[in-house]
Amino acid sequence: MLPAARPLTPLKPAELPSGSAERAGLAVEVRNVRKDFGATTALADLSFDVRPHQFVSIVGPSGCGKSTALRIIAGLLRATAGAVSVWGQAVTSPLGDAGMVFQSPVLLPWRSVIDNVLFACEMRGERAERYRERARELVELAGLQGFENHYPHELSGGMQQRVSICRALLLHPRLLLMDEPFGALDVMTRERMGFELLRLCDLGEYTVLFVTHSISEAVLLSDAIVVMRGHGDAAKPHMLEIDLPRPRTLATMRDSRFVEFAAAVREEFELGRAR
Amino acid sequence: MSGGWQNASKAALAFLVLFLAWQYVAPWARVPNYVLPVPTAIAQRFWQTRAVQLEHLGQTASTTLLGLAAALLVGVLLAMLVVYARSLRAVVLPVLAAFNSIPKIAIAPLMVMWFGLDTAPKIVLAFLLALFPIFVNSVTGLGEIEPDLLDLSRLLGGNAWRIFLKVRLWHAAPHIADALKVAFPMALVGSVVGEFISGNTGAGYLVMSGQMTLDTPLVFAALLSITALAVAGIGAVGLFERVFLSWRPSMRSR
Repeated sequence: MLPAARPLTPLKPAELPSGSAERAGLAVEVRNVRKDFGATTALADLSFDVRPHQFVSIVGPSGCGKSTALRIIAGLLRATAGAVSVWGQAVTSPLGDAGMVFQSPVLLPWRSVIDNVLFACEMRGERAERYRERARELVELAGLQGFENHYPHELSGGMQQRVSICRALLLHPRLLLMDEPFGALDVMTRERMGFELLRLCDLGEYTVLFVTHSISEAVLLSDAIVVMRGHGDAAKPHMLEIDLPRPRTLATMRDSRFVEFAAAVREEFELGRAR
Repeated sequence: MSGGWQNASKAALAFLVLFLAWQYVAPWARVPNYVLPVPTAIAQRFWQTRAVQLEHLGQTASTTLLGLAAALLVGVLLAMLVVYARSLRAVVLPVLAAFNSIPKIAIAPLMVMWFGLDTAPKIVLAFLLALFPIFVNSVTGLGEIEPDLLDLSRLLGGNAWRIFLKVRLWHAAPHIADALKVAFPMALVGSVVGEFISGNTGAGYLVMSGQMTLDTPLVFAALLSITALAVAGIGAVGLFERVFLSWRPSMRSR
């Protein structure tokens, strides 16, 4: 049902994220981040790195602070202590050039699919016309051809989420942040969306930070997984590198190493609980 | 669509029955013409005075629309103040709520004392009556935006101005349209009451002059004009909604 993957029209040099080549360091650096909400500690001591072009998942049970961590990295929340930098720069305000996908698609009900995607460049203050062709290509790649002029309420939940992913990818963000993007979808749609996301990301060499509570989703999609164990001061995470071959397919899920990785992630949780 | 026609024809039938009953039961019950004129008498008087009706109604329409426009401007600006300056919320909201609890009709004589006998007090009354519904709905429309949407807009590089223009204003439009459906008849009440108490123009003045001369059919004819104006105003807002706000949830089933 999906069109064959083909590379997107390359962005003109001026539109490419500036200086990404010379800044070959880390995409995201999280150092001893702590976050308190009043007397409650949401994050105790979080540290991890994301390298350029890596797909990193943060996995953990509900309430372990994984969404809080993502919001701190995005600059939407301020850490109580510790430091976060993105592409070598300390995060002090909302990033302004990051793609973001939430659990709900947060589309604008008064805009058509294509205009919802173009919302990204309008917020940046760029003229929509320059990006219309790329928006069309993204929409087509996401399997939404024929729906360009439909309104969000005319689409299914899965289709709406695809629109919000297209919107996040429009400006070729240097960092793509996703907060349980497939959490509201049914299991079948969820699996398919995961593969579609990988396909879209492979085309653009994105750096992705992906929050989920699904172990299999995390193992299937990621190069590395940050396992957050539980509440408050037990939040010291463990990082697992997932070196399963790419491209990942449904067959990957039957790979014995996939099962081993999933078991290893689960074991991390159990260790956290035993403590 | 057939359901719509069916409902419309049912409503038309109900009105027909009502008018027929009025036409024949009122004389039969010996209700005098100066108390309750029959529909044909009202229609006749309406037709006789059509030029005068139109002239006075035009006057009422202009004061109503001027008051409404002022209320729209001030209401939205006050709402922006409340939405953007959260600290002012605690000051503006109680003051406006207290102000709203004054029956505005009761201060109509004061408006005449302050603004004279001309059209000014009518515009002010129309403005005062229309202001509150517009303000309240604008606060909801401009302010109650999904937090995720605001966060997303900021992460995409949106500044306050662009978010206002491309998110808040659009989000507020259906709320303001709803407010206008209430505010238009309110503004009309303001104008007409203003015309009752002073001046010699407007549909309200026409009602009063009918009362003075015991010309009950003229009173009813003027009321008919005023009602037509109210219906036209609400209809215009409805048309605007259909054309520009067709995406809103309540429009989807139509």
